[in-house]
Amino acid sequence: MNCFVSRPTVQAPARWGVCLSRSLAISLAFVVLLAASGCGSAGKHYVKADISLLTHNYQGADAAIKQAEDEYGDKSRVLYGMDRGMTLHLAGDYKQSNLMLEQSDDEVERLYTRKVRTETAAFLSNDNALPYEGDPYEQVMINVVKALNYAMLGLWQESLVEARRIDHRLNVLSDRVKDKSAYREDGFARYLTGILYESTGDVNNAFIAYRKAYETYETMKGWSRVGEPTQLQSDLLRTTDGLHLTSEFAAYERAFQGVPWQTIQAQQNLAQVVVISYNGRAPRKEDQFLDLPISMDALQLVLINRALTNPNTPQNRAADSVLYGLNGRVVRVALPKLIPQPTHVSVDTVTLDGASGAPVSVRTEPVQNVTALADKALSERLPGIAVKAVARAATKYAMAEAATRGSQSAAGQKHGDWVGLLVSLIAHGYAVASEEADKRSWRTLPDQIHLARRWVPPGHYDVKGVGFTGEGSSRSRSLSLAAGQTVFLIQRVVQ
Amino acid sequence: MERSMGLQGYGGAVGAAALCLGFLTLAGCGSETKVTRVDTGVVTDLSGRWNDTDSRMVAETMVKEALDYPWLGNFTAAKSRQPVVVVGAVLNNSHEHINTQTFVTDLQRELTNSQKVTFVANKGEREEVRNERKEQAMYAREDTQKAPGKEIGADFMMKGTIATILDEAEGTKAMFYQVDLQMVDLESNAKVWFGQKKIKKVIEKKRTVF
Repeated sequence: MNCFVSRPTVQAPARWGVCLSRSLAISLAFVVLLAASGCGSAGKHYVKADISLLTHNYQGADAAIKQAEDEYGDKSRVLYGMDRGMTLHLAGDYKQSNLMLEQSDDEVERLYTRKVRTETAAFLSNDNALPYEGDPYEQVMINVVKALNYAMLGLWQESLVEARRIDHRLNVLSDRVKDKSAYREDGFARYLTGILYESTGDVNNAFIAYRKAYETYETMKGWSRVGEPTQLQSDLLRTTDGLHLTSEFAAYERAFQGVPWQTIQAQQNLAQVVVISYNGRAPRKEDQFLDLPISMDALQLVLINRALTNPNTPQNRAADSVLYGLNGRVVRVALPKLIPQPTHVSVDTVTLDGASGAPVSVRTEPVQNVTALADKALSERLPGIAVKAVARAATKYAMAEAATRGSQSAAGQKHGDWVGLLVSLIAHGYAVASEEADKRSWRTLPDQIHLARRWVPPGHYDVKGVGFTGEGSSRSRSLSLAAGQTVFLIQRVVQ
Repeated sequence: MERSMGLQGYGGAVGAAALCLGFLTLAGCGSETKVTRVDTGVVTDLSGRWNDTDSRMVAETMVKEALDYPWLGNFTAAKSRQPVVVVGAVLNNSHEHINTQTFVTDLQRELTNSQKVTFVANKGEREEVRNERKEQAMYAREDTQKAPGKEIGADFMMKGTIATILDEAEGTKAMFYQVDLQMVDLESNAKVWFGQKKIKKVIEKKRTVF
């Protein structure tokens, strides 16, 4: 043990009774550190939800999230609302989904005001003590899912309220974020609002949204891993033609040569089917621990420890806390690391089989890469997180040192050694044990979102896909389409 | 002496550890719920969003305008009866999920109680009433059955929009609401009355509090 313990250096003689007290105290210290190491079932509910989603048991996925409500705690109410909002959306309970998402939306707004005491508490423990408000792309997705919920309920005016909220949220974000290469616009969110406007007959606003979507896809294709969808090009040609915007139409016609499109008049007596497919799983986050030794024996300890164990298990984290606590010369910094969970589906095909004519095959194309958005969000925040984590680790270390010296001095010469050891173990061990990255993210989102639009003659259709959401079979649906009607078909494909 | 020193050591250790851990529990303060009954006329602006006060203000303004303007007198003088009005769509073109029904109902109530306007059931309500008549025809006593084809056709349709203009920067939000209602003559499509109410709110949020 001495190899790890740099202080106290003087061994003091003791009676049996005192030895027993010391043993008891040190055992208690171990228990405290084990508890502080965050042993728990964090993230298990996501595994359960993913297993349910794999078998298209959307109610089961929602139940898994609902059962874990207590695990989220007060600091993650926004996240709970997001996760439940998504699983309820998949389960076809659109009203309840909107209720949960509305609560998250309100909470995000409330969290604009930061509390000094909460920030202080987080600075002395870790960022998990801060209320989760979501990354900007997640906040936009709240309104996106709500808009889809209203569209699924046939409440088009309400879905347009969400379209306006998306516009407002993105406008505020663009004003706030000056870096043009950062996430300050959202191609898919803009595109969806265009679809909603056009579906309610507002072609002018639809064109504005399509144009913004197109510009966003162009600006962000360097990192967003999604180019502008071919369908969006058709939509721009159709709406500029319909609005008689001749110069814009000519420019798009030159840019999108060979892209098929129909006039608004040609589609007037048709029904529209919009297929949205959520593919794969959103990335998760892991701790990336940096153990910084500030003495030679601490360096040896860190090297041996890292060679033998992986700190990303609760048991090993507890062992690390005890070892580093005993040594007292290791500072731990935890940073979040993104673990992608990519989809293997590059294109989804949905078949519409009408009473007359050949079946219509609708092929989707990617419109949103959630993993790329999460990656960008984390990389933009990482410098700030790292600076804060280092400052926090230094503060914790200084406080642990002060506590150790203070306790040694208070205990006097005779008992100062072991009291110092005990306090050092607790304080340094706690500094290590409490260091944990904020790994929270909206994990019920998919890895990618795919979309397709198709206009078909009115009538009855048998629709075949691979993972339709809501109640009923995940592989088939029956649709009765009227002229001018828009219907959304939503799929969830976990692979 | 040794024992007392031991206790002192314990005390120091516990004190130091408590100092460390004490900071971590700073945030753990509970919340309490307090309920106070207030008059329905009291202005309660909590979030800055559309609320009961806005709905009431819109209804009051619209009733006053609807009764003050000459369309009502002109119609009554020309036809020697009250105008019959049906409520059409009140479109929500705002940034909020607003229940427009509340101020439309207030408006209907005030106008009906003024004995100057007769409202008839709107499109959604008519279905329910007609179903009831059909059921009466099958199940009610003959002398109490209500016959079909005796509905009163409306002279005017009241329709409108509620729109918002929203601007926000640095935690300060300026929300401008505009509610427009209009009365359309169902025979001529002439718009005989426009009612308008504008509400502007500035919502400021602090970035940091203790």
